[in-house]
Amino acid sequence: MARIIGVEIPDGKKSKIALRYLYGIGPARALFVLNSAGIDPEKKVKDLTGEELSKIASTIQANFKVEGPLKQEISTNIRELTSIGTYRGYRHKVGLPVRGQRTSCNARTRKGPRKTVGVLRKKGKERKPISDKKE
Amino acid sequence: MGRSVKKGPFVDVRLIEKIEKAKKENSRKPIKTWSRSSTITPDFVGLTLSVHNGKTFVNIYITENMVGYKIGEFVHTRTFRAHGAHTDKAATTT
Repeated sequence: MARIIGVEIPDGKKSKIALRYLYGIGPARALFVLNSAGIDPEKKVKDLTGEELSKIASTIQANFKVEGPLKQEISTNIRELTSIGTYRGYRHKVGLPVRGQRTSCNARTRKGPRKTVGVLRKKGKERKPISDKKE
Repeated sequence: MGRSVKKGPFVDVRLIEKIEKAKKENSRKPIKTWSRSSTITPDFVGLTLSVHNGKTFVNIYITENMVGYKIGEFVHTRTFRAHGAHTDKAATTT
């Protein structure tokens, strides 16, 4: 088990894949890090030496903001949008798409699982089961 | 795609005139505008704009961290009334 920057423990995968377990590192950045550290991207994580691991960690920290600090930056950016009262901030707050997508249907990534809003019946009247509807 | 840097940020010419006039006269009166697509430049800071939302004019006070956004970002054009509001109302009145 290898550790890079705090808690990340990917293993048994090629290092170019394993690095993507870090928040803020995707395919492009993984390759960039490995190439600039002079490590074969196809090499499995378990075959990496401690020296190589520390080299990877130092190149990541020198070039990118990852994990906690990155998440923090994103949330402060969003907080700024809401605090100055922008439309984008409002959309973040209510959990709807921010970039002008339609919301009549779809938009499930932002809206989460479907919440069906039924018609409210008057008090005292029990809601009939759906199977009784067609009679 | 972003706007060409060569052109600079877009601000409605008529709005620029109004702002220059207000700055010269040091007036605090809200500046009425329909130009929601204009970018807020550092000149705007400290002024109050009265921005059209399609129906009425909404006053917004421009602060320093609003610079770089479009005016329309701060004035919403739609009102959201909660889903099922009419049925709730019907349920409570009866």
